[in-house]
Amino acid sequence: MSFGIPILDNLYPATMDLWPIQAKEFNKVFPFYENLKQGRFTTTKCKDCGHVMFPPRGVICPECYSENLEYIDLPTKGKVLIFTEEVKGVPLGYESPLIHAVIDLGVEPCRRMITKIVNCPAGVLKRGDEVQLSVFEVPPTPIEKGRAGTIMAERVFFAFEPVKK
Amino acid sequence: MSRNAVILGGGQCKWGVREAHIMDLFQEAGKACLDDIPGLKPKDIDGLIVATSYAGRCSFQVNTAPVVAERLGLKPTSICTRCDTLCAGGSTAIILAKGLVESGNADIVMVAGGEKLYTPQKWEVFYSELASVDHDWEAPHGMGLPPPFFALTAQDHFNNYGSKKEDLAAVSVANYNYAATNPVAQMQKPLTLEEAMNAPSVVPPLTLYDCCPITDGAAACIITTDEIAKKYSDRPLVYLRGCAQVSLNNLSVNFPGAHLADWKHTRLAAEIAYKRAKISASDVKVAQTHDCFTISEVIEVEDLGFCKKGEGGEFCSSKQIEIGGKVPVNTDGGLLAVGHPFGATGIRQGTEIMKQLQGRARHQVKGADIGLTHNLSGANAEHTILVYGLEPVK
Repeated sequence: MSFGIPILDNLYPATMDLWPIQAKEFNKVFPFYENLKQGRFTTTKCKDCGHVMFPPRGVICPECYSENLEYIDLPTKGKVLIFTEEVKGVPLGYESPLIHAVIDLGVEPCRRMITKIVNCPAGVLKRGDEVQLSVFEVPPTPIEKGRAGTIMAERVFFAFEPVKK
Repeated sequence: MSRNAVILGGGQCKWGVREAHIMDLFQEAGKACLDDIPGLKPKDIDGLIVATSYAGRCSFQVNTAPVVAERLGLKPTSICTRCDTLCAGGSTAIILAKGLVESGNADIVMVAGGEKLYTPQKWEVFYSELASVDHDWEAPHGMGLPPPFFALTAQDHFNNYGSKKEDLAAVSVANYNYAATNPVAQMQKPLTLEEAMNAPSVVPPLTLYDCCPITDGAAACIITTDEIAKKYSDRPLVYLRGCAQVSLNNLSVNFPGAHLADWKHTRLAAEIAYKRAKISASDVKVAQTHDCFTISEVIEVEDLGFCKKGEGGEFCSSKQIEIGGKVPVNTDGGLLAVGHPFGATGIRQGTEIMKQLQGRARHQVKGADIGLTHNLSGANAEHTILVYGLEPVK
């Protein structure tokens, strides 16, 4: 029996997807995610005016509107400036503790970046602690490719984790 | 002769967890609005702007304005559209209506805002709210629900200015006590400092009464010109003297201040709105500021210029935000206690300021002649200010 509600038939609803759709068919910043899969944390720099922006842009430099952009590497280590730990009532899809921090990667424009801190139990993190990039897999996006059928586009996302002392 | 925009009347339905459809809420608000202006009939209204963000998400309806128009028996001929600025949607719609009536492109505009946020299963509400911030860059870090962001903001305020938890609790107490006698508020119970200080933790340092609730509700008001308003009401005219809406960043990495408690965009919005309204901060007798969290109100009284930067905690805990204080703030209970159905909030605020200036508010500020409303929206990504007064700008 069909209820006429696609989500009940185990289909993937993009409108309920927490993660970005990263595939090149749907997103011009796909190189950021490709770089992330290699453990690189990157953003775009304008080759005309030199502006470095975050987040990376798929089309134009927000300062001079040049389309001449290149990907550059950002540091993968930073320091915790402030943080807070959510232990109870974390949102659907997250594990407790959900640790939110403002970190400093040491370079503009990432001097005060909000990130999730992973691989860290509650009550351990301190201000000033060193953290490093952590890349993890998230569920793939099914994309219809005509006669080729549906492909599963692999995805990753990032957080930061304490550097082991 | 120049046309000056005024707010003619307004009202809201009961806010809270409502057993109703979003279109029921809009009807209740529309009725409350027209009940406030006995001479005005639906057929007199030529424009409608609907402020909602989660219609299309928590209730399955985009292009919401024609649906609202039909349910309210309106047949707009000048404007019939929707506006989404999340928490500032209502105030934004008022700004747009001001422009339309002052330019002569509309005469009598209803501004209606509302949200039906509670779905039959609650997980969907919380999950959908992840759409409130930058979906691809901030929501995946779990920042979609606002408490963590404002918890970090509070820490930056504590660290940089020495404010403390008691200052936040003072805001909860003031706003809950304002709402205790407000029959349409979501929270209608008095709160003591002790209760506020001992409340369960949400995200440290924020506890239960530091956070506004999730709210179903709607509100509506009428924006028209002073000359037209005189045909419908003998009450003092309340002019929309000036406004500003400032957005300098969206992602928090691009936050314009030195830290999360330094709200440069609020100061810029205030500077522009005061200049357009030809007032200064010291002229403001009553304010409805965006107390989505207690820390927000602490920072707003600073960056709106009611006290020095860094002294907001002391300003609030020394009762300067209460009746008899320097600038009574959120006199109907604010977002913390009346609730916060995003698109409706700015209309609720504007209606309360109208009542204050007309001398008919529940907690009346004596001699109030200038008032303001303020909203922030998203992850503190935009600031919206409207200045109201008993005289037009000359």
